[in-house]
Amino acid sequence: MSLSDLAKPWAAMSYGFLDASAKRELRRKMVKAVAVPGCQMPYASREVPMARGWGTGGLQVSLTLINPKSVVKVIDQGADDSVNAASIRRFLARVSGAMTTTDTLTASLIQSRHRIPEEKLSDNQVLVLQVPNPEPLRPVQPNMSIARQMHADADYSRMWLQLYEQIVCSGRVMQGASYPSLVNGRHVMTPSPIPRWDVPKLHMAEHLTILSAGREKRLFAVPPFTRVEPLVFDDVPFQVEDHADLSCYRSGARGFFMNEIPQDDGTSQYELSDSEYGVKTIRDREGDPVRFGETWYKNGKFS
Amino acid sequence: MAYVATRGGERAIEQAERLFRAEMGRIEKARVAELRAALPYLIDRVMGEASLYDEDLAALALAQTGGELSEAVLLLRAWRTTQPRLATAEVIEQDGLFTHRRISAAFKDIPGGQILGPTLDYSHRVLATEVLQGDAFTPDPVTPAQAPAPAHQPSVSTWQAENELVDLPEPDPAKGGDIPDLTREPLLFPSRRAHTLQSLARAETGGVLALGYAAMRGYGQAHPTVNELRLAEAEIVVTHPDGRRFSAGRVKVSEAEVVDKKGEKLSLGFAATFGWNEIKCIAAATLDLNSPGAEKGAPTEEEFFLYHTEGVESSGFCIHFKLPHYVTFQSSLDAMRDAKAKRAAKSGEPAQ
Repeated sequence: MSLSDLAKPWAAMSYGFLDASAKRELRRKMVKAVAVPGCQMPYASREVPMARGWGTGGLQVSLTLINPKSVVKVIDQGADDSVNAASIRRFLARVSGAMTTTDTLTASLIQSRHRIPEEKLSDNQVLVLQVPNPEPLRPVQPNMSIARQMHADADYSRMWLQLYEQIVCSGRVMQGASYPSLVNGRHVMTPSPIPRWDVPKLHMAEHLTILSAGREKRLFAVPPFTRVEPLVFDDVPFQVEDHADLSCYRSGARGFFMNEIPQDDGTSQYELSDSEYGVKTIRDREGDPVRFGETWYKNGKFS
Repeated sequence: MAYVATRGGERAIEQAERLFRAEMGRIEKARVAELRAALPYLIDRVMGEASLYDEDLAALALAQTGGELSEAVLLLRAWRTTQPRLATAEVIEQDGLFTHRRISAAFKDIPGGQILGPTLDYSHRVLATEVLQGDAFTPDPVTPAQAPAPAHQPSVSTWQAENELVDLPEPDPAKGGDIPDLTREPLLFPSRRAHTLQSLARAETGGVLALGYAAMRGYGQAHPTVNELRLAEAEIVVTHPDGRRFSAGRVKVSEAEVVDKKGEKLSLGFAATFGWNEIKCIAAATLDLNSPGAEKGAPTEEEFFLYHTEGVESSGFCIHFKLPHYVTFQSSLDAMRDAKAKRAAKSGEPAQ
């Protein structure tokens, strides 16, 4: 017997960078996460050739799901051309041979940091959200082992108290992004720091969403057609950002989530946060043939 | 098209990386060899934090990152995690270590003797500026002792246990693939003993020192006495598939035992790491000493110090704040402005 009998022929890197044992663990944890929607599954979280906090959790999931037929889209804060999105997209393509795209409609795998595209996703697409902090209870309980027990007991009283205090102190719920939401009527999860605008897109969606935090070593999922309900009191309805009446100064599109661009004269201009939707709108206006997908929001209203 | 083309971002990051690497220039094998020879303690620190024992790869990582330590450790960890496991080495006990240095602050003399070994502890910290004037600094040659110190010594805690001064932890019977492995399993709390020691072994030196120092200054209940501090080489004994046991080589290791009085017995804290890194071992052992019964959220509590001394995670998260956060920021602004408008409307009402 020799060493070469025991080992596979040497290769600089496994397909999709991660080795088979890492992928197996991730697959098992993803299946568990789908089986118990919104429940955080701890995983070993291997180091990848990017710094922790830069999408390593999303990356490990993408690297496990990717295959040569995949069509990958990567966005950061809504934009395909953001530098870190470009870096992740280049890495995914380099280690998998998969095709890349910026078009939401043609992507089979979408890795995103803090946005869900404005065009509806369908049942043949997987959305991978990068998660900095997987624990919705962190603001009320920084200790992870205690928080884990609270989830087991479905003890979310402190979450409700926090929301109530905000209403008393500020007249409204002050939570910006990462709005805590109850999944499948059982586990409270953070939807990752997506704006409140995007939270309704997860509710009873056709697509599978996997949320993964590499640094904190936890992943969780929202399977298709699963209830995702933001925590609200009966008499204080959930409120998305007041962007319904804003127009994009570049594309003219209206009724979507916008980036605010401060101007020298003290005013603000707005541009579409979903950069590809903006590109499509501009190209359409210029007469290029463009295929638009159905959007979650129509005329600024969720439908 | 009004939008910045996607290629723009890609070109920018490529040029930014080139700009960083331009300062270090061309990296050749000779540079890696020079780094390895000139900076053994830095190599040790990096190997410990990377939990990968390979001096050449550590030197290469330092060369490739220009000495940006967090980056060097990440580079090695990312490489390490993809490597196959060919074998698990046999358990190493303290008395099996080939010892270069081993001192105790608890007793004037100890079985096996105090062995000072290599250290700067008693050197006068004066810069050798003459080197910059062109005069080389040539260290004085070492005069070998007439009777060399024994290479193998028992741990001080063994003697203490025989004298009923300390209760040694129960030996962990796990062998081979059954040994819990932090790099392939998530860290959960209360942490398994193996995970705790593995986590401390690859913790970031500065982080361990900061929290260990906090414990030493009084944020911990236990005051460490260095029972023993040891710099040694460990034999890596593995079994060939044909059944033969053989040594695959030696690795430099350091370990520290610290004790504190706890009733009629001593309590024991322990830490060990790859490479020679005394500060890390003493600080880590101090945290270990303080952790039983520590309050949740205290710096000496296991969950607190294991999470916060993990260098790849902490450095990565710290630098991630450079990434754009404008969606989250926009979402918060919206809530703030609305709250302000609501208050203005409310306070305006009585006046109308």
